[in-house]
Amino acid sequence: MRWFRFAFLIIAAAVIQASALMGTISLTDMHIKPDLLLILLVYFAISCESYDAIICSFAIGFAADLTGAAIGPHFISFGLLGTALAHIKKVILLKQTRQQAAAIFVMGILTYILASILIKFKVPSAAANMFKIFTVSIYSAILWFLVKWFVRAMGKWVGAGVFRFGAKPQER
Amino acid sequence: MARTRFKPSKLTLFIGLFLFGCVLLLLPQTLTSKLNFAFIDIFGFFLNMGSSAAYYHQPPSTSPDFVSRHEYNRLWVAYTNQQAELQEYKRQIEELGKVRLTEPDPLAGLVLAKVVNRKDNQFIINRGSNDGLKNGQYVLGDNAVIGVIEQASADISSVRLITSSTCKIPIRISAPQIGTYFNGTMQGDDKNGAIILNMPQKYKIKAGSNVYAAEKAGFLLSPRIIGRISRCVIGETNPVIWDITVETAYNLNNITDVAVIVINPAAGG
Repeated sequence: MRWFRFAFLIIAAAVIQASALMGTISLTDMHIKPDLLLILLVYFAISCESYDAIICSFAIGFAADLTGAAIGPHFISFGLLGTALAHIKKVILLKQTRQQAAAIFVMGILTYILASILIKFKVPSAAANMFKIFTVSIYSAILWFLVKWFVRAMGKWVGAGVFRFGAKPQER
Repeated sequence: MARTRFKPSKLTLFIGLFLFGCVLLLLPQTLTSKLNFAFIDIFGFFLNMGSSAAYYHQPPSTSPDFVSRHEYNRLWVAYTNQQAELQEYKRQIEELGKVRLTEPDPLAGLVLAKVVNRKDNQFIINRGSNDGLKNGQYVLGDNAVIGVIEQASADISSVRLITSSTCKIPIRISAPQIGTYFNGTMQGDDKNGAIILNMPQKYKIKAGSNVYAAEKAGFLLSPRIIGRISRCVIGETNPVIWDITVETAYNLNNITDVAVIVINPAAGG
């Protein structure tokens, strides 16, 4: 992994995620937007070897916290579930785009439910909107079909996906 | 002797990062929110790219008989605020006939700020505790109440908008037909409006009535317009209360400048 490139990619994704540009593709008056960081979390968790996937998951969680309301909840939820996915992919390869989209949907629901539970420790007034979590996860999963080539190109640029599917990663 | 690079095992790495996350979670929000504000400060330019402020820069109408929608809204807000103040002065004059009231606080003022970033039902503004801002203060957008200060750091603050479900504020609903107000509590609907909670049907409320933020000691001296009732029907779950929806005076997405009501700015700064 080229970590400087990875940091640049994550910061860029966080800035785009928090920027007004995302408002242009938001849906309904609830401003449902896809979550780019969630897409990246799933991509890196299934494309990197598990050691790198742990670091990537926590780093993406930290970026999600920076764009959110509090520091900590996404760091833990992305880290925990990204690590879990990195281990699950040893059993279920998640090769097909449909499977990856399903993984984004499930991970979206789980990470944001966990994050909204954890955020209560920090900001007791924060309210979780289950409908919004569900719709954001669906939207992100659908977006995966459109952005997968770009994300994979970015992934290769940062050195992820080299040991993808089949090649035996170097054990640490 | 060859130098060995420190490389923890996967388990050590995971546990270390997890514990670091727990520490971040347990640190006070006032401390960690500095990181959120720093992110907005550094990338403010990029975050505002594509922001829709065009609404405020529409060319003036060429017709002498009509004004733009924004101009109409601005005049309506000014008019309703004047009306509320007039009612308040009338009440004070009546009271003055009986007892001598204390003078209104001469140090009440407004702190003008720019919206530097906007998230879901939240604005980030470029003023902070150095300018006398503190949690709970009311924020105006073109003279209408649009939210309250949620967190204030030294030079940047976050504003929880009235459309957020976490924002509950005391309100008054005007009832001009009987010359009074009904008090209640308003909560955002996480969309573009708000709802009024637990308003009994014995109050004769109609769609179109104005909704004001109620006075609050130390935060708001006189009622300020929020919007108007767009829908008022019998409650679906509880038929003895109204199901009231409030439409904000402006589309909050188009607001670029705000003013924070600061009572006793000298004490706050």
